[in-house]
Amino acid sequence: MSETNIDIVKQGLEKRYGAEKRFRIYGVCAIAASLIFLAFLFISIGTNAYTAFQQTFIRLSVYFDPEILGDTTNKESLASANFPAVVKQSLLKMFPEVQSRSEKKQLTSLISSGASYYVRDMFIENPALVGETVQVWLPADDDVDMLIKGHVERGVEEGERRLNNNQLGWIEKLEKDGNIEKRFNKIFFTTGDSREPELAGIFGAVSGSFFTMIVTLLFSFPIGVAAAIYLEEFAKKNRWTDIIEVNINNLAAVPSIVFGLLGLAVFLNFFGMPRSAPLVGGLVMTLMTLPVIIIASRAALKSVPPSIREAALGVGASQMQMVFHHVLPLALPGMLTGAIIGMARALGETAPLLMIGMVAFIVDVPSGFTDPATALPVQIFLWADSPERGFLEKTSAAIMVLLTFLIAMNALAVILRKKFEKRW
Amino acid sequence: MIIEKERAELENKREFISKKEPLVSRENRKTVGHPIVENPRMTCRNVNVYYGDKHAIHDVTLDIGRNEVIAMIGPSGCGKSTFLRCLNRMNDTIDFCRITGAISLDGKNIYDKDVDVVPLRAQVGMVFQKPNPFPKSIYDNVAYGPKIHGLVQNRVETDEIVETSLKKAGLWEEVKDRLNQPGTSLSGGQQQRLCIARTIAVGPEVILMDEPCSALDPIATARIEDLIDELKENFSIAIVTHSMQQASRVSQRTAYFHLGDLIEVGSTDQVFLNPLHQLTEDYVTGRFG
Amino acid sequence: MKGKKIFAGLGVAAALTFGAITFNSNAIADSARDYISVVGSSTVYPFATVVAEQFGKTAGFKTPKIESTGTGGGMKLFCGGVGVQHPDIANASRRMKKSECEMCDKNGVKDILEVKIGYDGIVLGASKKSSAMNITRKELFLALAANVPEPGGAESVVPNPYKTWKDINPSLPANKIEVLGPPPTSGTRDAFVELVMEVGGSEFAWIKALEKADKDKFKSICHTIREDGAYIEAGENDNLIVQKLDANPSAFGIFGFSFLDQNGDKIQGTPVEGVVPTFEAIADGKYSVSRPLYFYVKKAHVDVIPGMKEYLKEFASEKAWGEDGYLSEKGLIPMPDDERKSFSKDVQTLKNLSCGDL
Repeated sequence: MSETNIDIVKQGLEKRYGAEKRFRIYGVCAIAASLIFLAFLFISIGTNAYTAFQQTFIRLSVYFDPEILGDTTNKESLASANFPAVVKQSLLKMFPEVQSRSEKKQLTSLISSGASYYVRDMFIENPALVGETVQVWLPADDDVDMLIKGHVERGVEEGERRLNNNQLGWIEKLEKDGNIEKRFNKIFFTTGDSREPELAGIFGAVSGSFFTMIVTLLFSFPIGVAAAIYLEEFAKKNRWTDIIEVNINNLAAVPSIVFGLLGLAVFLNFFGMPRSAPLVGGLVMTLMTLPVIIIASRAALKSVPPSIREAALGVGASQMQMVFHHVLPLALPGMLTGAIIGMARALGETAPLLMIGMVAFIVDVPSGFTDPATALPVQIFLWADSPERGFLEKTSAAIMVLLTFLIAMNALAVILRKKFEKRW
Repeated sequence: MIIEKERAELENKREFISKKEPLVSRENRKTVGHPIVENPRMTCRNVNVYYGDKHAIHDVTLDIGRNEVIAMIGPSGCGKSTFLRCLNRMNDTIDFCRITGAISLDGKNIYDKDVDVVPLRAQVGMVFQKPNPFPKSIYDNVAYGPKIHGLVQNRVETDEIVETSLKKAGLWEEVKDRLNQPGTSLSGGQQQRLCIARTIAVGPEVILMDEPCSALDPIATARIEDLIDELKENFSIAIVTHSMQQASRVSQRTAYFHLGDLIEVGSTDQVFLNPLHQLTEDYVTGRFG
Repeated sequence: MKGKKIFAGLGVAAALTFGAITFNSNAIADSARDYISVVGSSTVYPFATVVAEQFGKTAGFKTPKIESTGTGGGMKLFCGGVGVQHPDIANASRRMKKSECEMCDKNGVKDILEVKIGYDGIVLGASKKSSAMNITRKELFLALAANVPEPGGAESVVPNPYKTWKDINPSLPANKIEVLGPPPTSGTRDAFVELVMEVGGSEFAWIKALEKADKDKFKSICHTIREDGAYIEAGENDNLIVQKLDANPSAFGIFGFSFLDQNGDKIQGTPVEGVVPTFEAIADGKYSVSRPLYFYVKKAHVDVIPGMKEYLKEFASEKAWGEDGYLSEKGLIPMPDDERKSFSKDVQTLKNLSCGDL
């Protein structure tokens, strides 16, 4: 009898191990597939983006001509002095053979229209430069930039290029003389938006996102945690708390645009808060993030072992002391993780921001909660829709920046959890 | 004396209980023995506990005397833990749990409306089955209770109470050099003694122990048992245990529970050597449970 | 205890922020806004932003904030009322509607300045790799309408039977009809329907007659674009259409002229009625599928918001909207000289727009 039993068991073994083996293969396949998708995403964005971290610069010998600048003692008039002419003159001096008006225009269009601002700032910082000649690297126009980076074919017919043969010739000469080179694109990381790709930067959007997220964190975390604690630890389980729970779960699944409409109606129209402000953006994101934080916090509270609660109650702690002294510190890592994941979701949202005017062209870097601002994903959206070729790589680069922030936030969530997690 | 009369009545009941008859009838599960003592610390009269529709404890009457260890034994699911947790109202945290009857501490019904559970639990401390120190330092574990109750005003007083409590719990010598290490870093037996120290730091009158040794090895168990023996000098102790040997080693009185009924109460020697009730005898002789 | 501290800290922080916010928003509602707020069309957005940036960097005022809300959405905001919480300028890729003007009037926005800034061409583009094909608006109508006149000539419509361009006109290639274009929410789509589909449909005399007799029927014939796969909605992102055309040489795409201008090495404009969409052809009106672009200014704000006059001046300057101005570099087709002069004068005198003129 026992022999036959063990025979039956042995016969079935192969099948059982086979099932296990198959399941392992499915698992490995699933992981491999998701890794491939991820790698594909990163590679495709990365290959588009990496060139954006470099920028083509042209070296000019800028002569601060006192005749063009006029009165250099008065700071007011200096700001509007004719620095573009200073830049143009320096460029023209490098190519003395260029004489006709249209050719001059073609030549000066090689340098960014924003170059004069850099020269101006340099001069305002050091007015003693008047009458001096200085070697300066100035950003090239985006068309030149695209050509140098190889995003535009030099071979196509003249009429179909944005740079004509004359301009190509000048660029080649600049290249030969070593007066044109790709350098690290500091502009991209330090300035706000611009309609000129070579002058556009991500910093304005990053600041906007930063202020928005600060507001979101300050509101959603305390409110969310307090709501979760009350619901989980104090509220009686009855029909009302059931209704609230169902509603919170539903809210977590509501499309984000709805929160934008709500924000428009409540914060802008009713409270009269300013349009396009990170403050309002943060409040809208708070509405969106709250359900996520509440759900995560409740889960974290539930996961605190009952033995800790009993221990606290057993020595005579009140309900509130039990929660705040023992349960909350243990649940906090889980709550923080939930909050950070909710925040990361909020960081990537554009739809609700559209309604409250944060999808906008904003050049000045915001310096406070009520300054007009935009946000990282909005910047990506706006650049993706811009006709200039130069914005293609900027779009990818901005996506890289956004992904970096998301990864950093998620990593922070992991670190916080590891650091504060207590064993029991 | 009323007590004498009650005892006499219970003695008489024994005559109706045949040792041979099957004992499924509730009639045959009336408490026998000596549930009532003189000058008790806690008294329980006709306590019934319901979990929703389930009637978990039937009409239990039992006293806990001063400076005694009373052991509650019985097969799994007999309601002994449930009953223990009624004694400091730990069952309050369960929404659908309902308790009738009277449980008094020093003559005051602890289920009266004007009784606050917070001071009650300071008076009736509890040690749990699984050692559950707070995820804090050894020092903070012991100091926590006195701090929240305002029993200590400054560091010196706290140090003192931590030291005496740990000494009473027999843990001082082992941990005095590492009071700042987490309580969870101790061994299981040490953790359980830490929990006892934490409980006695608040200065309770009664200590409830819910199978305090079931997660411990025999050596740690022996230490706890010695400790319990010492503690009864100052406290009344009610201990729930699965181990009849433990009950016989540490307790003066023993109560035997069966399916929600208190079957028999008596001196430990009597219950183990000469049980009055058939069910008790079956259990202590190992025929059942 | 630590948990309590953290929690209390956060609570205090939240309370402080909320206090600061209430204070702040009151302060802001009371005080004037120090930057110009512009809303409106996504077609005008690339031009208005260039002007705003130029203005912000040189004029000594804050850079205006420009929201891309779409023409209709922009008008709604613009006509919301007078006061700093309402925008100062609305960009539009079509003329203001009479109903919008009346809504403005009702909300107290009585004095409005209308400025035309130039023209935008709508281009039917194809990959450089394909051979150019000449097309008429009638053919486009037949290719893209959901319902077309019965091929036999009867005065009734049938579901669009045409699969290839050759089916419509034997001189066209036998390629599958495949057009990528913007969704109904887009201003470009509105303009395409108006400038191509309506005109193309009106080539049939009986449909043209419907325009007077049965406007709804006319609209349902001309405005309904087929949904059987020949017209592919490619989202609002014109860049995406450009990339897809590059990958699929037999397809066509509908987008604004500025995208053709910026991507001349990859795509070519298809001649419509024999006219190739070039800068010059649109400017002198030869290329038919073009529309004017406008912006509208709330005159009550001109003296309240700092820099309004200077911004208008910058926009209406020759270096911006002139023949060689920087806007033309971005793909805006300038108005003829006399039209520019006339609007420039309007800007200087802040000429009032009357709803009756619309």
